[in-house]
Amino acid sequence: MTQPALRVSSLAHRYSDGRVALEGVSFAVEPGECVAIVGPNGAGKTTLFMRLCGVLSGAPGQASVCGLDPAVAASRKKLPHVVGVVFQNPDDQLFSPTVEEDVAFGPLNTGATVEEAKARVVEALNCVGLPGAGDRVPFQLSGGEKRRAALAGVLAMHPAVLLLDEPSMFLDPRGRRELIATVRALPGTKLIATHDLDLVLDLCPRTLVLDAGHLAADGPTEKLLADIELMERHGLEVPYRLRG
Amino acid sequence: MTLALRYRPVPPSPLARWDARWKLAATMLAVFGIAALDHLAPAAVALALGFVLLLLSRLPRTWLLPRLFIFLLAAAPFLFVLPFTLGGDGWHVGPVHVSRRGLIAGAAVLCRGMAIGCLALVLVGTAPLHHTLTAAHKLKLPGLLVQLALLAYRYAFVLAEEFRRLRVAMRTRGFRVTATRHGYRALGHATGALLVRGADRAENVAAAMRCRGFDGTFHTLTAFRTRAADMIAFAALVAAVVALVLWDRLVLS
Repeated sequence: MTQPALRVSSLAHRYSDGRVALEGVSFAVEPGECVAIVGPNGAGKTTLFMRLCGVLSGAPGQASVCGLDPAVAASRKKLPHVVGVVFQNPDDQLFSPTVEEDVAFGPLNTGATVEEAKARVVEALNCVGLPGAGDRVPFQLSGGEKRRAALAGVLAMHPAVLLLDEPSMFLDPRGRRELIATVRALPGTKLIATHDLDLVLDLCPRTLVLDAGHLAADGPTEKLLADIELMERHGLEVPYRLRG
Repeated sequence: MTLALRYRPVPPSPLARWDARWKLAATMLAVFGIAALDHLAPAAVALALGFVLLLLSRLPRTWLLPRLFIFLLAAAPFLFVLPFTLGGDGWHVGPVHVSRRGLIAGAAVLCRGMAIGCLALVLVGTAPLHHTLTAAHKLKLPGLLVQLALLAYRYAFVLAEEFRRLRVAMRTRGFRVTATRHGYRALGHATGALLVRGADRAENVAAAMRCRGFDGTFHTLTAFRTRAADMIAFAALVAAVVALVLWDRLVLS
């Protein structure tokens, strides 16, 4: 039996001010699956991502990414090799003076040589449809280009698991369509936290509904998103495409 | 409002082609040498040298002049204060005594300040900042400091953009800067909001960096290659400044 790419068991997270962000969340994601996490603002989607990539610490044994426990310090050091996170706001992620330097940031940190890093930059920028953008300044990219450059920075690390936090935020319709095509073509396991339910329908056969830190539903996307009562109970709306 | 923070392409010039490590080393040594000059004549020659380097840099006047003016503003007060505060020979203009020694000392400070300003503008204007900072790292400046400088530079733009948005939002609700209690309170709140957003942004950036394996070590793709011309330019600038220092200390003192 293959090991799940992601395993979350009774995961709980409480912030230092006492606010409970996650409580008893359990699910598993098989290698190669593309799964959406939907829910209202403050549901705990970003907190879950931050726990999975080891940015937020917690009790050991509650999560595993490709067999690594993000709560264990020794595993946390290896996490950047297996899990990549694309943040909500690409300005948080694009901090280098040029796109090339930014995309190479991860590979250089994880031991790639300059030549390897340069090759990975070219590969990643081609993959996201930004060939030749290496010399550009991140600040001067458009919203869609920033998003794709941020994605390239993560893809250059060849992660087995990709966590995308609100990937279509700030994008115009064309940028959104391009992003959907790019993400669809990506290999590996993908977990996408979003409010964009049409994007979920396009990309994710399976959806998790998270609300107030609890996992409210886990099932096939079309079935869950068409459930009017479930959607309304958790502050969501049935996408136009699924309305009678 | 047009924000002053804008990325600017580096114009092609002999100084832009100069290896950033040699350029940084030569400029820093020249700055220390010029700062050590006491007399007006060598300081004036240093200023002339600074202007020659600015000409060679082919930097656009629209970029250069406002920045030179800032250096002028910083150095000029000495020219206006020292003649009236130092004693010695001089002239009487009505009830006021103008010291010859003070005038010369003020002019020397002005020349030194402007010469250093010219070198700083050459350094900043003839290479992208990240090249210069990477060169500083190659010259053994700690990587953490380089990383901090790069992040500060990068996020200055982001915070400036946020400030612009805040300002627009305030103006659309009828706010105009006035010297009233309400005006100061509103500006204080806006500044506070900017600081909070900055802190929030810093946390997110740190998280994004950790997610990509950042452990505090500075890595870069930028590679440098030394040519004979780089070393010759280094030697020429350093020799010129050493000659000025020797002239100042051995001949004129």
